[in-house]
Amino acid sequence: MSNDVSNLEGSEELGGQKVRLYPVTRIQGRADIEIIFTPYHEVSEARFRALEVRGLDRLAVGMPALRVPQVLSRICGSCGPFHQLASCMALENATGAVLPAAAGTVRELLCWLWLAHSHLLSIIYTVLPDLALPMSDMAVRNITGIYMVEQEAVSRLFRIQAAFAEALGTVAGTLVHPAMVVPGGVSSIPDVRTLSHTAELLEGCEDDLRETLRLLEMLIKRDAQMTFTGTTLEGHYMAATVEGVPFPLGDEVTVKPFGEGEPVVLSHRQLLDGMVEAPVQWSYLVPVSLKGADHLLTGPLSRMNMGYGPDTKWADLECNKCVEQWGRPLDREFLAYMALMLEVIRAWEKSRLLLEEWSPAGGVACAAPEFSAASGVSVVDSPRGVILHSVSVDGSGIVEAYKVVSPLQFNCPMMNRHLSGIARKVVTGIEITDAVAQRLQFAVRAFNPCVPCGTH
Amino acid sequence: MYIATVALCACGGCHNSLLAAGEPFVSLLSEHTISFSSYLFDRRTISPSDVVLATGGIRNHEELEIAREIERTSRKVIAVGSCAVYGGLPGARDREEPPAVSEGAGLPEMLENVMPLDSIVGVELYLPGCPPPPGLILESLKSLEGRYEPPHFDGTVCSECPRTVEVKPVKSWSLHPGCGVPEGSCLLNHGLLCLGPVTRGGCLAACPLEGSICIGCRGPSDMVLSSQLHSMYSDMVKYVTLSTASRREKVEKKLSAVLETIYLFTRRDPVIRAKVKERVPGE
Ligand code: SF4
Ligand code: SF4
Ligand code: SF4
Repeated sequence: MSNDVSNLEGSEELGGQKVRLYPVTRIQGRADIEIIFTPYHEVSEARFRALEVRGLDRLAVGMPALRVPQVLSRICGSCGPFHQLASCMALENATGAVLPAAAGTVRELLCWLWLAHSHLLSIIYTVLPDLALPMSDMAVRNITGIYMVEQEAVSRLFRIQAAFAEALGTVAGTLVHPAMVVPGGVSSIPDVRTLSHTAELLEGCEDDLRETLRLLEMLIKRDAQMTFTGTTLEGHYMAATVEGVPFPLGDEVTVKPFGEGEPVVLSHRQLLDGMVEAPVQWSYLVPVSLKGADHLLTGPLSRMNMGYGPDTKWADLECNKCVEQWGRPLDREFLAYMALMLEVIRAWEKSRLLLEEWSPAGGVACAAPEFSAASGVSVVDSPRGVILHSVSVDGSGIVEAYKVVSPLQFNCPMMNRHLSGIARKVVTGIEITDAVAQRLQFAVRAFNPCVPCGTH
Repeated sequence: MYIATVALCACGGCHNSLLAAGEPFVSLLSEHTISFSSYLFDRRTISPSDVVLATGGIRNHEELEIAREIERTSRKVIAVGSCAVYGGLPGARDREEPPAVSEGAGLPEMLENVMPLDSIVGVELYLPGCPPPPGLILESLKSLEGRYEPPHFDGTVCSECPRTVEVKPVKSWSLHPGCGVPEGSCLLNHGLLCLGPVTRGGCLAACPLEGSICIGCRGPSDMVLSSQLHSMYSDMVKYVTLSTASRREKVEKKLSAVLETIYLFTRRDPVIRAKVKERVPGE
């Protein structure tokens, strides 16, 4: 970690020079941005490179399948529970284990709580510094800098985060890699006291959510004028859905074009079969596209483009307001930050609806899977987008093959094309100023990349 | 104080656990100065720090360089999480071939095996857990301000667990993490291999509390580390033999078949390797 933007590394490539911005800050994991110039000193390409790989998916091979979901949760410190869930679901798909209804409800509640909590951390530590202090010196462009001048606004966000954290702690035990989701169901069903405490915690967030939403709306509107370069997102957006409406545990995957064209609906298995992996020599991340859809977007902005559905009235209303203001499709990078906030609201509404209609207390928690040689596939829509797991087990329940595909892999081709587009507009030579570095990183952060998750 | 955070070979979970400590963490930070933290701050260079919260083990040459730089420039380092303390899950097996990338691409080359942080950096405080709970990380940070004693838990997960163990036979053993075991009843009594008896406490038995086994993420307890005659495996055999009134050989056979799962988080730790050389898978 030696380079400041002023200590640029230059080397000859493609007849021109290459400049490295290292590391990319306020993202999860270690990565750099390489800017490649033509011999005429114009930007030819900019690319985000993942610098680390752990290979936890390979660790799963040869391991007793029942231990694998807890291991694979450690693929990602943000979306870990969703990897755990995807792993359990792939095993259930392989074994034919039928999930008890009560376990399904608990899983759904956990998904909404995890999603909101993960987004809240992104909003506090990534989004707020970018939106509130975009032009400030880097010494203050961080959460402590904002805390010192706008303590109440930050405290509001922390109150919401603390409520979701406590709710998760009460329902799932731990925040980051909870053990509660197990193959065949969940390890326990929360009791009535836990559920009513969770409901109270969430109820107390409403005013803070409203105030925070207004603040973000205002900041996004202001920043849009400063940062929008005219470069929009192009390609397809994708989300797990039920009847076209995004749902983390949706049994189908909907893919729609940003421009003209018909949506395609795929089963989990069809997504696996339709994927094209295209490893590159310059990054540990393996980009993934779909046949007929080279540039994909997955994650909050994709789901916002699909629309939230009428049962979450508040999120739906705010989503429609965004469409009125910015047009459909929502194809500007900064709207990804708005999508994070609207999904917190959606998750809040969904959790409350589930808690109001709760019936499974005391129900069956888990159906123990029984193994025969088989394979299974699953898709879960995590906070950062679609995760795919595919597993083959032998008759004694040992994993023979395992594949993980993470949101960053799907997003990578579109992110790099978008980054290149922005770089062509804002980079004017090999001297990269802090403002230009910040603009390039903003283009990357809109995709909320998580490197450990992407390379497993 | 100048405070820094750094992630080496890590999933980001330890950092997120720290960030989830929320306002008390940010309020504490705002009383000090962040010297570097690629999670929080846009500065790109490592600069001298009084305290570095370091997560992750060392898996490639870039991480090795970062660790050396931290060793050169920092006064006190807290090893946060079992990856930093023991090498963690990435060390559960020997290195496999990484994906093929171009040699000239400037990507960090992988090391032979993952190393715990203290192979390179002098560590002031060890905070195992995958991840350690947010409150524990915050308390550790405050302890280096001199306000508190550093947190230390010498008991086991069992000592914090509300479930009660009975001496009774178990028909069969399962690696299932949990399957709706009644509240109050020890998971071992239901044939679930919970590592609570040999794992360091401090997490308030988070997993058994929710009906799921402890997979040993906080590493061995003080008892296990106390003498050459103890190891996670041998102590587990003893405990299961006693609690199930089984024959020792039968339990040994069962547990040696799943040895890898006992040392998931700690296999690359030299102390553990030295103590249990004949037991660590792959030796
Ligand atoms: S100790 Fe666990 S939570 Fe922390 S970085 Fe390692 S795998 Fe992630
Ligand atoms: S073995 Fe596990 S379930 Fe039993 S008392 Fe110990 S920690 Fe609790
Ligand atoms: S119960 Fe065990 S696995 Fe769970 S958090 Fe505690 S030490 Fe880690």
